[in-house]
Amino acid sequence: MHISDKSSEKNTYDAIVIGSGISGGWAAMELCKKGLKTLLLERGRDVEHIKDYPTANLNPWDFKNGFNNTIKDKQIDPVQSNVYNPENKHFYVSDKEHPYIQDKPFNWFRGYQVGGRSLTWGRQCYRWSDLDFEANKNDGIGVDWPIRYKDLEYWYDYVESFIGVSGKSEKLAQLPDGVFLPPMELNCVEKHLADSLRKDKEGHVLTIARVANLTRGWDNRGPCQNRNLCTRGCPFGGYFSSNSSTIPAARATGNLTLRPFSVAAEILYDDLQKKAVGVKVIDANSNEILEYYAKIIFVNASTIASTALLLNSKSERFPNGLGNDSGQLGHNLMDHHSSAGAYGTFEGYKDQYYKGRRPCGFLIPRFRNLKNDKGLDFKRGYNIQGDGEREGWEDIQGESGFGKDFKEKLTAPGKWTIWMAGWGECLPYYENKISLDEYEKDKWGLPLIRINFSFKENEYKMMKDIEETSAKMLRNAGFVDVGSFNYHKPGGTTIHEMGTARMGRDPNTSVLNGFNQVHAVKNVFLTDGSCMTSSACQNPSLTYMALTARACNYAVDQLNKGEL
Amino acid sequence: MNRRTSIKSILGLSFIGASSFSVYKWINCHHTIDPDSFLSRKELIAELAETIIPSTDTPGAKEAKVENYIINILLNCTASVEQNLFLNGLTELESYTERQFQRTFFNCSVNDRNKILEYFEQRGVYKYTLFNKVSNRLLGKSFFSQLKSLTIDGYCLSQLGATRGLAYDYIPGNYAACISLTPNQKSWATK
Repeated sequence: MHISDKSSEKNTYDAIVIGSGISGGWAAMELCKKGLKTLLLERGRDVEHIKDYPTANLNPWDFKNGFNNTIKDKQIDPVQSNVYNPENKHFYVSDKEHPYIQDKPFNWFRGYQVGGRSLTWGRQCYRWSDLDFEANKNDGIGVDWPIRYKDLEYWYDYVESFIGVSGKSEKLAQLPDGVFLPPMELNCVEKHLADSLRKDKEGHVLTIARVANLTRGWDNRGPCQNRNLCTRGCPFGGYFSSNSSTIPAARATGNLTLRPFSVAAEILYDDLQKKAVGVKVIDANSNEILEYYAKIIFVNASTIASTALLLNSKSERFPNGLGNDSGQLGHNLMDHHSSAGAYGTFEGYKDQYYKGRRPCGFLIPRFRNLKNDKGLDFKRGYNIQGDGEREGWEDIQGESGFGKDFKEKLTAPGKWTIWMAGWGECLPYYENKISLDEYEKDKWGLPLIRINFSFKENEYKMMKDIEETSAKMLRNAGFVDVGSFNYHKPGGTTIHEMGTARMGRDPNTSVLNGFNQVHAVKNVFLTDGSCMTSSACQNPSLTYMALTARACNYAVDQLNKGEL
Repeated sequence: MNRRTSIKSILGLSFIGASSFSVYKWINCHHTIDPDSFLSRKELIAELAETIIPSTDTPGAKEAKVENYIINILLNCTASVEQNLFLNGLTELESYTERQFQRTFFNCSVNDRNKILEYFEQRGVYKYTLFNKVSNRLLGKSFFSQLKSLTIDGYCLSQLGATRGLAYDYIPGNYAACISLTPNQKSWATK
């Protein structure tokens, strides 16, 4: 029993949420709105909307080294420097301060601050469908999802209505329509490709990306100003983040306590009550150890960190990590692959251009294995994301020459091009896993996380199909100089880590039930990417948010019924 | 990491053996650079940049003070191999100029300056694409290709370059997906 001293009273809340990123922000808001005194723990610093976006209004010439990282950056942050640049470096961790062990190359990109990676996310919002929720069952892979689209449909509506998603309805079974703000617009070359695909006998759809960028004012935010500087934080609140949206809404209830610099070290489990009673926290600055108590705990530290926290929460009842009766905790790590694709140039529309920097591209929704396609040597599928534009100085600079004529060419709009790549499903493999290292510790004395992940045959075969198919789409549409590519980026690069505490119906083979509740510890919920049973090919954040809102609703209902 | 580095250097050495590079030159490229070696050549760098992006009806590299950017990047963001390549390139350019034209680069006409850079542009390029790729990877980007890409970046990111050489739209507001090109339309400075 951990509640022993007098200070416990002031350290007691109705609910604790660990992590303030995209799903943690939602959990905090929902619980606060339902009247629960909620403590939101964040391991990093506070980032206040607008005030703490130091680069948001800078011009290119305000950056001393342009958009280049320094040699020192690359030495200190060999992983993070692959994704950050001087515009947004302050929203990524330092690898030196936050090391992890890569058994095989794996890019673990992290943002330890209030708002987490919701500040720098790609903002793509795609619903899953029963094609995805039934996939494991139909293929006999992993375990079946304990939920179906009908369980989540209301919550997708609920989340989209709050965050604001621009997009176009397409009436596709594999990609259900949502509650949309007016769509952003395709430019001429993208429309050209869309027409070509529609006329083709396979009739693929090309639609504008569905994004959490506001095409009109929404919830006192936005609209998006088409600056395409989202990862710096938006001074117009043009896109959804915890900082711009859920955290202020949670705060407005008067029920929120936000505690930055709070590293969750362990979830405290009480053997007598058979439930979790609180969270052991290390103050990141003072190293002081604190304990906070609550009736329910939402773990939203991000896929890998949430599972690591459970693995580190050992008790007599759970010697291998909290809720790990199945032995699945840490296993079945997934990330989408997005390394393969094609590009091409288009000779027409020479007198056409665009104005503004649309902060998104287009989407060709999944078309593979909608039914089991004959002749395909892989399971599941991918969607294609890309964008069309006229070449600019960045693209032309490799051409030979210099001087007056070169300058003229450099500063004039170049050829129309399209670049596109497949975002592909990754199957859940037991051997793709995270674990805690037995010996090495971080500066707070917590065990380092080991990541052992690789893509396998199904993913590689899919990548090959992506290369061939996307190049063919461009050729059929009359593009020239078409080339395909596979960048062979390691796992983690798409920043869609999923799995390691999967949902399922059977406590013997899964960690969480259909309400994201730890099977054997009913008052602990995981609603970030760790809960995912399969990865589908859609960008996953919207689904995390919908699952979170649904789980919060369930948790409070259960609490009120005295079940928790 | 060390293992990979050593494999790279073995490959590097065997390739160098097959090309015109000497081992001495490769080793020579790993010296630590004194910042002053760039700062003291700021004016020369400015003139070279201006030769690549000259002033026309819009400002050139010199007016945009591109040399400051070039030196910043060389000092802060460039590996020592490429720093050395750049520095050796400057020295070679100075002596080549003296040899061919019997004067300093500053005293050369625009025409001569163009000839000098043409020589260095050709020199940095091998006949075989594969050689270029391998050379870039193992030995770093050549002097000329560094100079050129730094000049372009520095110019297009500078205030004068972005706002007058190109078209800069600080806060677009809306996205107009398909509009007609206007006469003498510049491309957008930022994507």
